[in-house]
Amino acid sequence: MAYIEFNDVVKRFGDNTVLDHIDFGIQQGDLVTLLGPSGCGKSTLLRCLSGLETVTEGQIVLDGRDVTNVPASKRNIGMVFQQYSLFPNMTVEQNVAFGLKMKKVDPVTIEKKVAEAIAMVELTGKEKAYPASLSGGQQQRAALARSIVTEPAVLLLDEPLSAIDAKLRKALQSRIREIHQELGLTTIFVTHDQDEAMVMSDVIQLFHSGRIEQAGSPVEVYTHPASEFAASFIGSYNQLTGAQFSAISGSPVPAGHVVAVRPETIGIDRTRPASTDDGYVVPGTVVNSTPRGNVLRYTVRVGQTNLLVDVLFRSFHMFDPGETVYLTLLKHDCLVIPENARSAA
Amino acid sequence: MSSKTKAVKAPVEGKKTPLAAKIFLGVVALYLLVPFLTTLVYSLFIEWTDVLPSGFTLRNYAELFTNSTFWLSIGRTLILCLVSVAITIVLLLLAMYVVVAVNRKLGRFMQFVCMIPYALQGVILSIGIISLYTGTGTILSNRMFMLFGAYTILVLPYIYQGIRNALNAIDANMLIQAAEMLGCGRFRAYVQVVLPNIVSGILVSSLLAESIVFGDFVLANNIAGTNYQNIQVFLQANMARSSGLSSAIVVIIFLVVAAVTAIVLKLQRSSQNR
Repeated sequence: MAYIEFNDVVKRFGDNTVLDHIDFGIQQGDLVTLLGPSGCGKSTLLRCLSGLETVTEGQIVLDGRDVTNVPASKRNIGMVFQQYSLFPNMTVEQNVAFGLKMKKVDPVTIEKKVAEAIAMVELTGKEKAYPASLSGGQQQRAALARSIVTEPAVLLLDEPLSAIDAKLRKALQSRIREIHQELGLTTIFVTHDQDEAMVMSDVIQLFHSGRIEQAGSPVEVYTHPASEFAASFIGSYNQLTGAQFSAISGSPVPAGHVVAVRPETIGIDRTRPASTDDGYVVPGTVVNSTPRGNVLRYTVRVGQTNLLVDVLFRSFHMFDPGETVYLTLLKHDCLVIPENARSAA
Repeated sequence: MSSKTKAVKAPVEGKKTPLAAKIFLGVVALYLLVPFLTTLVYSLFIEWTDVLPSGFTLRNYAELFTNSTFWLSIGRTLILCLVSVAITIVLLLLAMYVVVAVNRKLGRFMQFVCMIPYALQGVILSIGIISLYTGTGTILSNRMFMLFGAYTILVLPYIYQGIRNALNAIDANMLIQAAEMLGCGRFRAYVQVVLPNIVSGILVSSLLAESIVFGDFVLANNIAGTNYQNIQVFLQANMARSSGLSSAIVVIIFLVVAAVTAIVLKLQRSSQNR
């Protein structure tokens, strides 16, 4: 039995079905990411769990207790919002202490716990600061301290890093992960950023149009996308129709399926490698190359199809536009997946 | 070379602009103050038939300050301001709680209701209230209570706008949700988290409302008349007696409103600093 259970949850706003029969469980202590594009229903599910939204149908169970109709203030769930939502008239210290005061914790314990929480998010020295005088990252850390200090049953993070610059975001991702490990808090993280989901999660629940498209560990979801949508959303898969793949490889593809190939699994060479039974070697022409940090991404024209190929950015391994190259696609890296189909997790 | 010269000059020109703006604002302020200054001079001299006035006197002020009716009318006006503005603020804060935390769709209805007084002429409002409540035998048939009620309606749109803007500026609904997630009930969150953050907005709108009530003559004269004489009705009653005395009353009204404004602005600043 899972720690959190969503049993056939449906949420409608008027005629618009935002959550379409969501049914899955979350184990205690896991850090689960709800990943998906904007408007897919991931934040709505989070708000249904928090109690800030009611569900239209279905049931939500938390630690064996049906909380479907329990008010948000009685669920003992902590939440960090995208907009921080710190109370502007209170200092960092007062913000963090607010939840403990609501629980009528004695003042000595409040003082001790507040100091611990502030230290945990590395805001020591900012106790007396008002939110307006803090940077975005500091505000988000204060919001995090405010949510964890009450020792909630579940911590919900609703795109908490989306308004923060890339460098700070990476640091905060690590800090959130560390805090999760230190406290062992069951945590649900909502994001539309697949890289962030990969870094943060024990389990990814990939959302699409109000339903769960695929669930699994980051490695599973990345290496074995269950559908065309999953392949397009996770990573930069080359997606080839049956006709395109057959034209390149000479192998048939079952009707209603596409072939997905990750750019980093494709080998690229100047000279034709020896043919192998494990894969396909095809000639192509380099169209362009794009540096992407430590990776160089080539677009290679093969017949009528462009393929993306990622290689480590090394000076001795560079190809010029117009150059003829040979691509090696290993068979086990060519994933045949249903076309525009949904597969329940 | 020329481009270099321009680049150097640009910031200097930029510095000159605020000075020009200050001069412009000063001239406008002076222009707006001319009626007040003229009234002040008129109240301090016996005659003003030539270019310069003659016969400096404080007689008008001495007469006013020793007149208990004057002080009573000032007191009544202040009470009218405070009570009617306070009633409106309390009612609107409760109504806006429902809009912010319970049913946001009611926001449009609230806006419509609160904007109605804009369209009501003072004469129509006062006659309507008198014909509706006179002779009902309830507490509302008392002229003083009618006047409080009328001013409560009159200031509704101004205070509503101020409170609504302040609530929108802090995203009150989100703050209530954040407090809820920390175990706080909605109404308590509204009182403990939202209200302290909109004090500034409430003060500014109440300032505007206060100046409107202070300046009203029509409602006070039609509804209460001499039964509950406010400063404007007192002014009207004394206009025929002496123009110097009337000028002194106007100067004092201006100074009282300025003093109330200064106090409210100070409160607003200290609220913002916190």
